[in-house]
Amino acid sequence: MHLRRFLLGTVIAAPLLGTMAAAAQAQALSADDAKAFISQSGQQLVAIVNGGGSAADKATQLRTLVNQIVAVDQVGDYVLGRYINIATPAQHTKFQQLFHQLLSYNITYQIKAYQGVSFTVNSATPQGDGVLVDTTITTPGKAPADVGWDVAEVGGKPQIMDVIVAGTSMRITTRNDYASVITDNGGNVSALLTAMQNQINKASEAQD
Amino acid sequence: MRVKQEKGARRRFGRTLGRGLGLGASLLTLALAGCATPPPKSDTADYQAYQQVNDPLEPTNRTFFAFNNRLDRYVMKPVAKGYVAVTTQPIRTHVGNFFTNMGEPGRTLNFMAEGMPTDAGSSLMRFLINSTIGIGGIFDPASALGYKETDTDFGLTLAIWGVPAGPYLYLPVFGPSGARDVWNLPVQYFASPTVAAPSSTALTDFGYTATGLHLINTRAGLLDTIDQINATALDPYATFRSLYRQSRASQIQLIEQRDKQGASAAPAAPQN
Repeated sequence: MHLRRFLLGTVIAAPLLGTMAAAAQAQALSADDAKAFISQSGQQLVAIVNGGGSAADKATQLRTLVNQIVAVDQVGDYVLGRYINIATPAQHTKFQQLFHQLLSYNITYQIKAYQGVSFTVNSATPQGDGVLVDTTITTPGKAPADVGWDVAEVGGKPQIMDVIVAGTSMRITTRNDYASVITDNGGNVSALLTAMQNQINKASEAQD
Repeated sequence: MRVKQEKGARRRFGRTLGRGLGLGASLLTLALAGCATPPPKSDTADYQAYQQVNDPLEPTNRTFFAFNNRLDRYVMKPVAKGYVAVTTQPIRTHVGNFFTNMGEPGRTLNFMAEGMPTDAGSSLMRFLINSTIGIGGIFDPASALGYKETDTDFGLTLAIWGVPAGPYLYLPVFGPSGARDVWNLPVQYFASPTVAAPSSTALTDFGYTATGLHLINTRAGLLDTIDQINATALDPYATFRSLYRQSRASQIQLIEQRDKQGASAAPAAPQN
């Protein structure tokens, strides 16, 4: 049951797969501010998904919104984890560039499946340097899913650091996914960059 | 003091049991296949990462993962898609409720073994209410009456006893598991009400049908999810492994949290 629930939640939160940031850069944020931020961001997200326009238009709008509400650079660095010390500056730059692209792809993947989505903000609990905001996301024809958003103040404004579904953290999952690619290729960061590039190529072919 | 001693004894017993069970499960899988090559200990960071992943049977596990994916592509997924085409979400929810209810006696026993009497009582009440007022479990009136669904299984009972998770195992058909959690399979089977009942042909037929329906209903609920993971993960095997591990850790944490809070505390109340 639990496995099913967490996997169900995963797909709903998947548009923000990998949306996390380094907690070190975070500052204190009040629970109410975090709640208001998630409420507002969620409404914008729902408005785009349920609004008119082509899938391509929606994808562009979503990308812009996500760059505003998610600290993508910090998220990327968290996901790269300890390999950040192994990567050359050029590899690090390339990784960030590919990570931005992949995140866009993950967000826009199956955009149609979220048609009619609605969400409710439940509670907000201070946790570490940030605040965990609990929401319930409902999509027609699917069971409702509880999704937690880890929010912290980065660069003077609230940003999403992590997405948590039934106890599973998206940033940890993505970090493990990427680390596996590197370790399976003898610890080479270049193998990860190649895999990311291949994934982007595959995605753009599928969207054409 | 006495409680502390009991907990200590329970953990010591768990560790001994864990070694035994872990060894059994590892031998079983080792008999079937090969091992991953660990990095040299001199390479501290890599060696630590290898220990943390704790997947020494990765090559075998990946073979079973590939097998399950093929089974899914050609059998489970097409059947689940057909099932979704002829059912509605409310029907699928009722089917899900029915199987959750079937698992309730097993959960009651596990909560008792874990030393969680309130959870055990809650689970028992859920079974009694949902089997009667809930018409054989297809409805879930117990939740509305305050007996919220709580999850456990024998793998989690072993964890509460202090048995470590052990190496990761990916099983043919059953999917993600571990040296500790794999023992859940036989226990869950024998804790099912249909196994406890006197045997008959009708019951056996029901058992096969029920298992098939349960699998299809569960798979149907995961159609988009699994597609999403396979499409977005760079290494779906590692992604499922990470999700499984985190999910299990979270389940253990939830049980222990309820235990600390006197088992009566539900998740934080909405503060709208």
